Amino acid sequence: MKYGVILFNTTTSVMQAEKILLKADFVIKLIPTPREFSADCGISIRFDWDRNAQIKALLEKEKANYEAIHPLVVNGV
Amino acid sequence: METIDARDLACPEPVIRTKKALENSKDGKLTVIVNSTEANENVQRFAKNQGCSVKAAEKNGVFTLEINKTGQAPEICQAKAVVMLIASDQLGVGDEALGQLLIAAFINTLPEAKTRPMKMLFINRGVLLTTEGSRVLDSLQKLESNGVQIFSCGTCLNHYQLKEKLKVGKVTNMYDTVDSLLNADNVIRI
Repeated sequence: MKYGVILFNTTTSVMQAEKILLKADFVIKLIPTPREFSADCGISIRFDWDRNAQIKALLEKEKANYEAIHPLVVNGV
Repeated sequence: METIDARDLACPEPVIRTKKALENSKDGKLTVIVNSTEANENVQRFAKNQGCSVKAAEKNGVFTLEINKTGQAPEICQAKAVVMLIASDQLGVGDEALGQLLIAAFINTLPEAKTRPMKMLFINRGVLLTTEGSRVLDSLQKLESNGVQIFSCGTCLNHYQLKEKLKVGKVTNMYDTVDSLLNADNVIRI
């Protein structure tokens, strides 16, 4: 399974995005920001990469405050 | 093959004797005799964690355990009995939402760690993590399937009316909790 990771600048943004994504029934997981990425917030949201487009569209629509979305190649946490 | 008679010895003595005998054993074969359920379980768990096979036989409350060091200890290191006491649904004290976010990330990281706890005890609001609606259920289920024992406090489940909603692990009581903490090499309190 290939995962993607959403990076944030603040924990408040993580909570906001988590709420939006859970409400839309996306399967997500809170993880520590993977070491290979740098973001101001140490907590990130992991998701199934094949939902990338829908998740991005939803976050844009809801004006969620995220920093970046990256594919997560390693079978990490 | 060496035989260790660990009958009537108080915990953790049977495990300690087993450990010493295994370390000194030339052929990796050992018979351990115990006469309590607790010692039986503890010695078996210890031996299995060391990568040994265990053949157990019980007769009139006396357990004969044939231990055979077949292979290398598993890659996952569990040399010490680490017990994690999770007494809250939050990590740290402060903003509640932040605490919940942190504990989710914490528990979601545990299945990937090289070392894992032997037991995780959830008490008080900690039981919110093992019951319906918890966002770390799949990580806890993964830990459980990897051999981590997960226990939720029965009194606490009742208090929060979550007894029917337990989704991972077993229910425990204060006797087992006290025992687990006192017998642990290391307790991590969250």
